[in-house]
Amino acid sequence: MIFNSEISGQQQHTTSPVVTGGSVIALVYNGGVIVGTDTLCSYGSMAAFKNVQKIAQISKNTIYASSGEYSDFQQVVKELAKIDRSALQYDDGVHPSPKDYGNFLARLSYKKRCKINPLYLQNVIAGFHNGERYLGLIDIYGTYLESNFITTGFASYFCKAIISNYWNENCTLDQAKQVIRECFKVLFCRDCRAHDVIQLAYVDAQGAHIEESERVETKWDFNGFKSRANEKLHTQ
Amino acid sequence: MLKHLYDTDCVTWSPQGKLFQVEYAMEAVKQGSICLGLKSNDFVVLCSLKRQPSELAGYQEKQFKIDDHMAIAIAGLTADARVLCKYMRTECLEYKYTYESHHPVGRLVFKVAEKSQHKTQSGAKRPYGVGLLVAGIDPNGVHLFETCPSGNYYEYKCQAIGSRSQAARTYFESWFHLFEKSTLEQLILHGLSALKKAIMEDEELNEKNVEVGILGKNQKFIHLNAQELKDYIVKLETFNANTQIQQE
Repeated sequence: MIFNSEISGQQQHTTSPVVTGGSVIALVYNGGVIVGTDTLCSYGSMAAFKNVQKIAQISKNTIYASSGEYSDFQQVVKELAKIDRSALQYDDGVHPSPKDYGNFLARLSYKKRCKINPLYLQNVIAGFHNGERYLGLIDIYGTYLESNFITTGFASYFCKAIISNYWNENCTLDQAKQVIRECFKVLFCRDCRAHDVIQLAYVDAQGAHIEESERVETKWDFNGFKSRANEKLHTQ
Repeated sequence: MLKHLYDTDCVTWSPQGKLFQVEYAMEAVKQGSICLGLKSNDFVVLCSLKRQPSELAGYQEKQFKIDDHMAIAIAGLTADARVLCKYMRTECLEYKYTYESHHPVGRLVFKVAEKSQHKTQSGAKRPYGVGLLVAGIDPNGVHLFETCPSGNYYEYKCQAIGSRSQAARTYFESWFHLFEKSTLEQLILHGLSALKKAIMEDEELNEKNVEVGILGKNQKFIHLNAQELKDYIVKLETFNANTQIQQE
């Protein structure tokens, strides 16, 4: 991540991302927390990698997803896995809770922001610990927020209305899934860097479950589209 | 006599497989005044006897708070204890800064043990001359650990270290089966009873030379103040472990 340019001899900093992932939507439901992402990594405006898993399981009861630079996502997964392994080293069976991960990531992000070399990510940590649901948002600056629902990227603009109309914190898992699917449907229509294949993952008392990717329903056979296609060409 | 051939430094083994410098360091712990700890399902209590170097002096504190959920009682070289205390406090603060939660107790004891062991494997260093009783609460439950200059650490239901600690341990051996379900008051009285067994004939427990610290699942570490200590010492007169059995 820190490049030493041989020409100028100066240290370079990440100023813009190269391979990016899209929005992340996370909600609590009555039995746990659920996170949804699409499976696209864009190379600028090119839909370069269309089958990418952007949700990682960090520990038995914690999952992590983020939008932004995908290589930074991969690096963060490694950093968080290191912490989980510490339980093995100390032989004490004490695993970090989801909140511990959230705070650690916030400290890490803040440190890198202070060096003007950030992890170019909006991070979401989701987990279920001691009967309590946890959702944490950590942004590129290291801001740390806990909430019942989290949206990153374009979802923050398009999906909050859908979430507030159709979701509440005690809904069922299926209801929460439907809300997320509806959100990604809208995102696929409106966000240029979105994809119609999404992946859902949820954490409940039994642990983390990452599901197979699925295609959102889209409808293109509107009369307006059909008749537009058959319109006569305007000629002078 | 042969001992003196193998006890110059930590990097020399004796033919019997002993490191005499480490053993001598453990003697320093045995010379310190007694401190003991005992735990129930919800509380850990630390009791210690404070020494007064002379009539003009104050009493040497033996218990130190490491964090809200952890405290230590020391026996041995106080200066060495202060180094370990500072290290433990720093580690807890760093952990809290990074994770916003309390340092797991066993892990910190492990770190202290690692640090202590390091001092036993060098030609230029000497072991820490202090033993710690570490009381702590974490998601795994209520803990009481003992650390040694050797770098070993052990978890206990109850333990006493320092001068004449065997008398206190004997008391524990008779009564420790009651501790798990004891109330806080009973636990403190057991601790003071054990302490009483370990004092000299012409000494007596009073609120000046006794230090009691308590730690619980919903109780941050605190010391009992002088009035509370006086009350407990009075209650000690009528406390009898046998009555606790009858109640149960």
